Amino acid sequence: MRVIQRLTRKISRGFIHIILVLCCLGILVPLIWVVRTSFVYRIEAYQIPPKWIFTPTTDNYLTIFSTHPFHLYLVNSLSIALATTLISLAIGSLAAYSFARFHIGGLWFNVGILTTQMLPPITLIIPFFLMARIANLINTRSILIIAYLTFNLPFVIWIMASFFQGIPRELEESAMMDGCSRAQAFLRIIIPLSLPGLLSAGLFSFVLSWNEFLFALILTGKYSRTLPVGIAALVTQRGILIGPVCAGIILVMLPMILLYFFTKTFLIHGLTLGAIK
Amino acid sequence: MKVHLKYLFIIPTLVVLVLVILFPLLYALYISFHEYILIRGIGKFVAFNNYVEEVFFKAESLVSLKNTLVYTGSVVSLELVGAFGLALLLNVRDLKFRNVYLIILMIPVMITPVAVGLMWKLFLNPDLGIVNYFLGLFGVPKRGWFGDPKLAMPTLIAVDVWHETSLILMILVAGLANLHREPFEAATVDGASSLQKLRFITLPLMSPVILVAIMIRMISALKTYDLVYICTRGGPGTKTETLSYYIYKAAFRKLDMGHASAVAYLLLFLILILALVLVKILGRETT
Repeated sequence: MRVIQRLTRKISRGFIHIILVLCCLGILVPLIWVVRTSFVYRIEAYQIPPKWIFTPTTDNYLTIFSTHPFHLYLVNSLSIALATTLISLAIGSLAAYSFARFHIGGLWFNVGILTTQMLPPITLIIPFFLMARIANLINTRSILIIAYLTFNLPFVIWIMASFFQGIPRELEESAMMDGCSRAQAFLRIIIPLSLPGLLSAGLFSFVLSWNEFLFALILTGKYSRTLPVGIAALVTQRGILIGPVCAGIILVMLPMILLYFFTKTFLIHGLTLGAIK
Repeated sequence: MKVHLKYLFIIPTLVVLVLVILFPLLYALYISFHEYILIRGIGKFVAFNNYVEEVFFKAESLVSLKNTLVYTGSVVSLELVGAFGLALLLNVRDLKFRNVYLIILMIPVMITPVAVGLMWKLFLNPDLGIVNYFLGLFGVPKRGWFGDPKLAMPTLIAVDVWHETSLILMILVAGLANLHREPFEAATVDGASSLQKLRFITLPLMSPVILVAIMIRMISALKTYDLVYICTRGGPGTKTETLSYYIYKAAFRKLDMGHASAVAYLLLFLILILALVLVKILGRETT
């Protein structure tokens, strides 16, 4: 009997591993194929059946930086995501503290935050476009930084509020007994303790901004484009530039995947914080 | 004058939110009650005319509503079932390489939607794509995928499943890890089978987490725009046109801001109503 039990256990474990390995391959193989295609010469990129052995080239990467201004898109993406993240963190964590400690707004706070997460960007983009046109802000980085606050700020407040709630009140109270003001207690005690929370909120807000497409598509022009819009523009009426598109995909993906590997625990913790509570 | 800190702290946020969310929303509401073709400037007040026209007299808006619901229903259910299955497999005790699997399965969460769309558009290209080539090796005839009226929607749904299952998986894995061991151990002692434990312990305990995962995914699926823009532009015909894409077309191709804003508000209400239903169910489940 024991032998049979052990055997069925082994077989079922085997099946589990087969299913999981297949799923992992389903994710990895397409990504590896994009990496491969980003390093082949132009003619080979269009060959079917594909060549398995090829001389690698960096031509496609050179193309997107020389014939297309991808260095600009890269700088735009980075600076816009960074700016909107820092602004959201700065003012969002203040508000989150107020909500977490003093329950300002009460139920309305929760309803409000939840509602902003439901707002479809397409509903906001129409008035945003019209107002930006009047204010002469179309085709600038500032308008995107402002537009991204619409989803980053509520998101940061949501994460930070649940983070602050996890910090015991007694810490500030004892500091205030020792003569600190509330503001000093916040700056010297709460902020240093919340660095992990700030980091995970900041990472998320950066990723959301980096990946955003709709606002960037409508509100930017040739020189204020972000990477996603720049890559989408490589698909032209005359066809798809396979090599450069793959190089672009790698360029937009790589920072996110690196970020993911360095910060897995923060990201997973941050995302599940609100969901599990 | 001394303003209490708690009010001081929320002032910057309030100012920003009023400027970037409340004011634009009110402006969009105002526009939706007017005739507004961009090149002619804002026209006369038409009350609910734009709404009535879109709901009762335009076939295309209803088609895009249907597409949005079909798309959302399909991706949420497929991704939920897939993610739940994977989460259970990963939850098997002392599974070797668990963390390796988990790390790889989470990768898609981080990938830019535009990159996912472009990637699959390349792979699924009828003549140059690798997918048709591989299927050809097994004797499967070439297909048009995104260009085929019958296949376009299922293909789009499949790409979404490839991309977004990870997000639900992430939430479910965390949820399963947080469950207490005791009920399972007690059930094992009482001689319950794995299937019984799944049905009578795991599912009821996980239902709040599952509902939150459904809610997060449903809300973002109802807004789907990026994938449609990259892969199909709503085509062939209007086969994959979602509400977000329909609104985009109305506003920035036809430059009809009035009608576009009206549909945009309808989309907002659709999301709010569906989310409210889920919140109600969630409230009932947790009490």
